[in-house]
Amino acid sequence: MHGARLVTPSMLVAFAIFGTLPFWITEIGLYRYLGVEILIWCIYALGFNLLMGYAGLPSFGHGAYFGIGAYACGLAQFELWANLWFCLAAGVVAAAVFGAVVAAFISHRRGIYFALMTIAFGQMFFFIASKWTSVTNGEDGLLNIARLPVELGFWNYPIRGNADFYWFVFACFVVCVVALWRLVNSPFGKVVQAIKQNEARMAFLGYRVALYKAVAFILSCAVAGFAGALFAMAQGGAFVQVMNLQWSGVIVLMVLIGGGFVSFWGPVLGTVLYFVARDLLGAYTEAWLLWFGLMFMAVVMFKPEGLAGIGQDALRKWRGLPRAPAAGWAWLRR
Amino acid sequence: MTTISRRSMLAAGAAGVTLFNGPWRHNRVWAQKSAKPILIGLTHDASGQFANSGQDEQRGTVMAIEEINAKGGVLGRKLSYITADTETTPATATRVAERMINRNEVAFIVGAIQSGVANAIGQVAQKYGVVYFNTNSSSPTEAGKDCQRVKFVWDGTGANFANANAANVVNTFGKKWLLLTNDYVWGHNTSKATRQTASKFGAEMADEILVPVGTRDFSPILLKVQQIKPDVVAAAVGGDDLKVMQKQVVDMKLARQPAWLQNQLDWPDVYGLGVESVFGVFGTTWYHKLDLPGVADLVKRYQARWPETRIDVPGNVFYNGYMAMHELAKAIERAGSTNNIKVIKALEGHKMAARDRMQHFDAYIDPVSHHVQQTIYLASGNDKPVDKTDYFKILSQVEPDKAKDPNEAANCKLQPYDKTPTYEM
Amino acid sequence: MDLVGYLLPHLLNGIALGLLFALIALGFMLIIGVMEVINLAHGSLFALGAYAALALLAGEGGPRPELLGWFLQLPNVLRYALALVLAPLAVAVVGMGLEICLRRTYGKDPLYGLLLTFGAALVIEELIRLAWGPSERFLPVPAAITGGVAIGELIYSKYRFFASGFSILMIGLLWLFLEKTRYGALIKAGAHDSEMVRALGVNLPRLRTLVFGFGTALAAIAGIVMAPIWGIRPHVGVDAVVPAFVVIVLGGVGSFWGAVLAGLMVGMVVGLTGAFATDWSLISMYILLILVVTFRGRGLFGKKSILEA
Repeated sequence: MHGARLVTPSMLVAFAIFGTLPFWITEIGLYRYLGVEILIWCIYALGFNLLMGYAGLPSFGHGAYFGIGAYACGLAQFELWANLWFCLAAGVVAAAVFGAVVAAFISHRRGIYFALMTIAFGQMFFFIASKWTSVTNGEDGLLNIARLPVELGFWNYPIRGNADFYWFVFACFVVCVVALWRLVNSPFGKVVQAIKQNEARMAFLGYRVALYKAVAFILSCAVAGFAGALFAMAQGGAFVQVMNLQWSGVIVLMVLIGGGFVSFWGPVLGTVLYFVARDLLGAYTEAWLLWFGLMFMAVVMFKPEGLAGIGQDALRKWRGLPRAPAAGWAWLRR
Repeated sequence: MTTISRRSMLAAGAAGVTLFNGPWRHNRVWAQKSAKPILIGLTHDASGQFANSGQDEQRGTVMAIEEINAKGGVLGRKLSYITADTETTPATATRVAERMINRNEVAFIVGAIQSGVANAIGQVAQKYGVVYFNTNSSSPTEAGKDCQRVKFVWDGTGANFANANAANVVNTFGKKWLLLTNDYVWGHNTSKATRQTASKFGAEMADEILVPVGTRDFSPILLKVQQIKPDVVAAAVGGDDLKVMQKQVVDMKLARQPAWLQNQLDWPDVYGLGVESVFGVFGTTWYHKLDLPGVADLVKRYQARWPETRIDVPGNVFYNGYMAMHELAKAIERAGSTNNIKVIKALEGHKMAARDRMQHFDAYIDPVSHHVQQTIYLASGNDKPVDKTDYFKILSQVEPDKAKDPNEAANCKLQPYDKTPTYEM
Repeated sequence: MDLVGYLLPHLLNGIALGLLFALIALGFMLIIGVMEVINLAHGSLFALGAYAALALLAGEGGPRPELLGWFLQLPNVLRYALALVLAPLAVAVVGMGLEICLRRTYGKDPLYGLLLTFGAALVIEELIRLAWGPSERFLPVPAAITGGVAIGELIYSKYRFFASGFSILMIGLLWLFLEKTRYGALIKAGAHDSEMVRALGVNLPRLRTLVFGFGTALAAIAGIVMAPIWGIRPHVGVDAVVPAFVVIVLGGVGSFWGAVLAGLMVGMVVGLTGAFATDWSLISMYILLILVVTFRGRGLFGKKSILEA
């Protein structure tokens, strides 16, 4: 643990890789839009892991908040004020408000009942979004959402091209990473992790457990909404499919395969793997989901700590240390 | 069995394309020569709800490309293609379109079944100026509100089918109508067109039932239909919901009374389920037993090229893909270039002879909406099939201008030419 | 028209629908209740059951259709009855294989079991698509149970009566098995007191494998029974796993009659909204779930289980 350092070495590595990505991504046969999409999903996944990895609360309906953020961004732009900051804020606030309503129902729940209630709410939001066509435009999609210029009062910078937009998303990524890192290492973050390990004990110690869980849920929804707003601008539209059960499952899959349970960076690794594997496997086989599914099963069976766990083992071996101590896994064994 | 054909198709695609555009290397070797092939990006669904239709239109576009190449290609250049699964998901479609344009440097993009996917691709295409053919999405918004300068719509829309069918059905079956509307944009627009047209001919709407997308049990609805006792049920139900509804209506033997008016039946959705699964009156743009020159020959060529597919004869979805690709090649030929604006101008207002399209009337590409205005056929289930592929009985054919959507021109605002970037590959 | 006469068909239809929802949830219930594994592959196994029956009844698809030649010569009714037995057995084998993979997740957070079965769901669905293709399929059933039957002024589907009756039969048989047989007692005991069962000299891992196989066979049976109503397509499983989930949570994890009652409630709600507020008929079951779980944390009759951790 690096305690509460503001910037860690691994952050610098990640920022160096993503910060130079536009210069080399086309050289390795990929394309910049993929970089944009990966970064946005990284933000989404990091926020999701606050809930799943740190608070131990698996949500299977998180796509709803991503989608709400996307619609809010578009609607704010069309109906209220076409300003970048305002649209992003609209995405965050809308997702957080809906998240707060849901949190009121589910923050007293645990385990499976929590997961299932998130599915129920997620499905409801999905159906309402597809049904409320006068607002969301249904399956046709809310189109022509613009990538608005970055306005800093003294300086305006257009971000319409994929490269410029990438830089903006990268800046957002940096802010989110630093903020989330601070958060999980703050007293709040410690309490949330303690609740994951033993909810009853924390309640006994006088912590208002449900409140902490609710706040973790709302924060994670807000981050999802932020990512959704960025995605709406990246895609130039908001579509209902990202809200469905399958896409809500995909984020769980990415976070877990990357190793969200053992590492702050797990979600990032998982997201990168998912998109790159999909792009490359998808170019060669239409059954890429078959291979991805098999890979996923193998990870759950043989290395549930995910890519981050593999990395940590490798690092320890390199430094001549023993493998990950089992004691850290006590909460998993019960 | 389908698998094998898909694999061999992929292999063919891979051999032609990925050798030059492998995922790790950006190969610009062709750029130096004038004989660089014209690369077409095929955005057909291979998974998701419309996988089956997506693969059928792919058979159409691929077969057309092969025929064009066999005749020497276009402007002395061969056509080549890459495929990518759009998964019936707009987010994926956007990425696929970005990838095809930025990495693969395709010259044109062809393919769509679902309107969200078509819009997602259309937006990317418009941003870069790439000409895009929406082959099979029949939402009236495609050539209306969501039309674009670079996008051309090849299927008849829900409104066309409603216009073509309504008058006939009112006169034959009666005036008390019930609308069954799939609760999404396509359903609403289609039912609105049905309501407009049918009311003009004296039909009265007893009720409109909104069917949620994803409905798997129609029993409450079918009971209610019986309680309302309409003369005609006009159903604008699509996708998997339609398949489920058909099954339940046929099982309960409700297919004859009341009369069912279905908007459009896509061939891949019904073929293989048996002639008896088709009921009511519905629209289509083409049928493999039309008594027109060239049709029988096309069926033979299809069977020779795709011997292993489960769909034994070509249908409307294949046809739209096949025709669109041939017309793209002809437009490039007329334009004398792959320059997007020149190709767009060669397409706008272009008339296509009935003989070439194997339909009853001449068709044209509407310069106002970029929609192919074409013959609409009214058909019903076939009570006297001549063979196991003979599902439809063609009742009549409606001229393009009689089936035309009157609202299309008013709703569609194409981007001006100068707002459309120049693009040429 | 009088209200009762208007309402009655919809109430009856709601009950019939409810029985089908209960049938869909049975296998899911057994696995979650007894083994405390949330089997997200339930839907894919449901679909696999339908496809296996398709291979037996129509000789369509599957890896080697020609091997089934002799079987296809049998009379239709007999084949249908055999398919109802053989196809679930085949799926049970797949299920038991999955259970062996699942062993590595036992004793860990239940989330891992859920995630493994999620991966399995993707794999099975893709394999179905490769083996049978993406198109819509049709499962032929004996003519005796197809068609409509007129009761009063309205026509009902005969097959639906068959399916509802069949689901009552399955519910009854499963209950008798769990409550009245030695195996049932062992299965239930194995879930809650594994030490005791082991002390009795029972091979617990084998017992768990068999229970999982049994649960997947039930999923397959539901798939076969629902196929003529829903149709068959590779992604049909999604339509089954979500309602199964809703029914189990509503009824309460670990409660047999809770699940049956929840199935009936869901059926009634979906049936009535389907008739009177059709556009809300799909959302209605989620609203019902949220209402009930808000006031009763463990659903109607739920017991405390490790899945809450």
